[in-house]
Amino acid sequence: MMESTHQRDLLTTTVRFCRALRERGLLVTPAEAIDAVKTLNLVDLGDRQEVYWGLRSVLTSRVEDLPIFEELFETFWGFNGSSPQSLKGLLGGMPPPTTEVQEPPPTPKRPTKGMALSLERWLNPDEGQGEPIGLPGMSDQEALIDKDFSIFGAEELEEITKVATRIARRLAARPSRRRKPTRKGQWVDLRRTFRRSLKTGGDPIELTFQERKTRKTKLVTLCDVSGSMDLYSRFLLQFLYALQNSFARVETFTFSTSLSRITDHLKGHPYLSALGRLSGDVRDWSGGTRIGPSLTTFNKEWPSLVDKRTIVIILSDGWDTGEPEELAEALVTLKKRSGRLIWLNPLLGSPTYQPLTRGMQAALPYVDVFASAHNLASLKTLERHLYL
Amino acid sequence: MREEIRKIQELMEQEAYITDPAIATSVYLAMALKKPLLIEGHAGVGKTEIAKVLARALDTNLIRLQCYEGLDATTALYEWNYSKQLLRIKLEEASAHSAEEKEAVIFSEPFLLKRPLLQAITQDGQAPVLLIDEVDRSDEEFESFLLEVLSDFQVTIPEIGTIKATHHPYVVLTSNRSRELSDALRRRCLYLWIDYPSLAKELKIVQTKVPGINEQLAGEIARFMQTVRKMKLNKVPGVAETLDWATALVALHASYLGDEVVRETLGCFVKDKGDLRKFQAELDAGHLAGMITPLP
Repeated sequence: MMESTHQRDLLTTTVRFCRALRERGLLVTPAEAIDAVKTLNLVDLGDRQEVYWGLRSVLTSRVEDLPIFEELFETFWGFNGSSPQSLKGLLGGMPPPTTEVQEPPPTPKRPTKGMALSLERWLNPDEGQGEPIGLPGMSDQEALIDKDFSIFGAEELEEITKVATRIARRLAARPSRRRKPTRKGQWVDLRRTFRRSLKTGGDPIELTFQERKTRKTKLVTLCDVSGSMDLYSRFLLQFLYALQNSFARVETFTFSTSLSRITDHLKGHPYLSALGRLSGDVRDWSGGTRIGPSLTTFNKEWPSLVDKRTIVIILSDGWDTGEPEELAEALVTLKKRSGRLIWLNPLLGSPTYQPLTRGMQAALPYVDVFASAHNLASLKTLERHLYL
Repeated sequence: MREEIRKIQELMEQEAYITDPAIATSVYLAMALKKPLLIEGHAGVGKTEIAKVLARALDTNLIRLQCYEGLDATTALYEWNYSKQLLRIKLEEASAHSAEEKEAVIFSEPFLLKRPLLQAITQDGQAPVLLIDEVDRSDEEFESFLLEVLSDFQVTIPEIGTIKATHHPYVVLTSNRSRELSDALRRRCLYLWIDYPSLAKELKIVQTKVPGINEQLAGEIARFMQTVRKMKLNKVPGVAETLDWATALVALHASYLGDEVVRETLGCFVKDKGDLRKFQAELDAGHLAGMITPLP
């Protein structure tokens, strides 16, 4: 009698537990919940550790899930110092009051406008290095990945470099679905083989082969460095720098009121000296924004850089002082010529943000992907959009 | 602890794989729930080894599919043996068989090259272990194809028909996280994250895998590696590197970690130029003793 009540309690708690996990973003659907219940029948319920390991392998699906799982497992089946082997804890249990107690993760603060940090100040290495650098444990990385770029310290730039390298690998010559004839390859090219067999009287003596073509994707990045982007452009620039130096087919531009090509500034120089060269050559750093005219200039002066195998990434918050019509027109041209047009807006990381600025409104219809770029996680997801 | 899980742990330890309850539980559940097991973790922590040991412990075959960019169905599933087909056509030219009969012959099983996935589901006898190694290296198209095979366990070949699995193989997938895998694939699998081993576990691994190592040296190596993994390195050494290093030290008849012998063998676990310089600087500064963490 007692047993079955316990069983039912356990079932309810497990279902609630699954729901709580799903609310925190884990990939837990009813199918996983069913597996979780099956798991409880398969493991030793008296062994709390075993229940933990079992449910963990069923209900998590990536390493980022593990801390959340552990936290919720504690909430649902915590003991606070009592015997970890207690059967009572799991069966009778103290189910938490409701699942609504789960607070959403703290949202990144929306950056305030107009805190102009000039390029020269970035060059000053003393700035922004308060506490000593900790050893990178897992938890450090966890914290880092959600951290808004506007509050990043200089030592965390290393992580950005890692993300850029990953993206570069992703873009590097990828095998295409199409095939081309070769002398020796993976597949027999039947059409050609039959064709050739005609000269030997229909006997296919010489086999010809096919192999996959490699697909070479190019990348053009256009980064807004106007005043309103100040908090972000520093890190985005580090990202672009890393990208420029780990991937050959990328062209980098900056714009605020006018457009500058900075590919050669970034390429092959140490980061600090690249910044130094930039501050000398890019005139209107932290100035106003005229996205439309800048893109028009790009279309006019660098048409050869963009073709159907090119992914164009625009990094901007969309605060445009120019005419929205001009921006729209420039984007139409760019979209027609490029393979994929991606707009990354750092402000999108804030849940309250709505792309209501006139510039953003004008741009949205022409953009293939509109995503955020305010933290490492968002840059990592960028990887998913980089295909043609 | 559940008897079955203990047994799995025992089986794996018999095969000289030092495991912990987390790994044993996941492996057990993968077998009991008949779901693929996705293993992630840093390089060199023994992800691939789990599948190999599992196959040996279950006394069944291991079928391995190594993933790479551009891997596609013809390399993973099946392909017709074209050369053999062409030869047969030549041989049959003078025969009285009708075109249909000839066709039926050349599109039959003897002319089919079974690739790992098809092999795994058509294997005679016991269910094999199918290891899909470094799945993050394959592209998305292949991933979705893989999902299809892993959910239905059947394969349709237009010329022959549908081949149904004679049994569900035990599927183990490994990933180094060089690319985000799709949520669909992740959902389909049980998940196991293998971290770098704890001091005690690593010590046990060294003692099991490197015969003839003395206790002091094994302890010093394990403690040293704990420090090394906390340093900011470009290539953090895994357990594989620890074992290489321990084997080298035993071959050099070292009985403890001395400055000279460490310098000579740095290459066993330092695989990056910048890291090497960092270590040499540490050694020059006489920090070796400090890097062997004291026992708790």
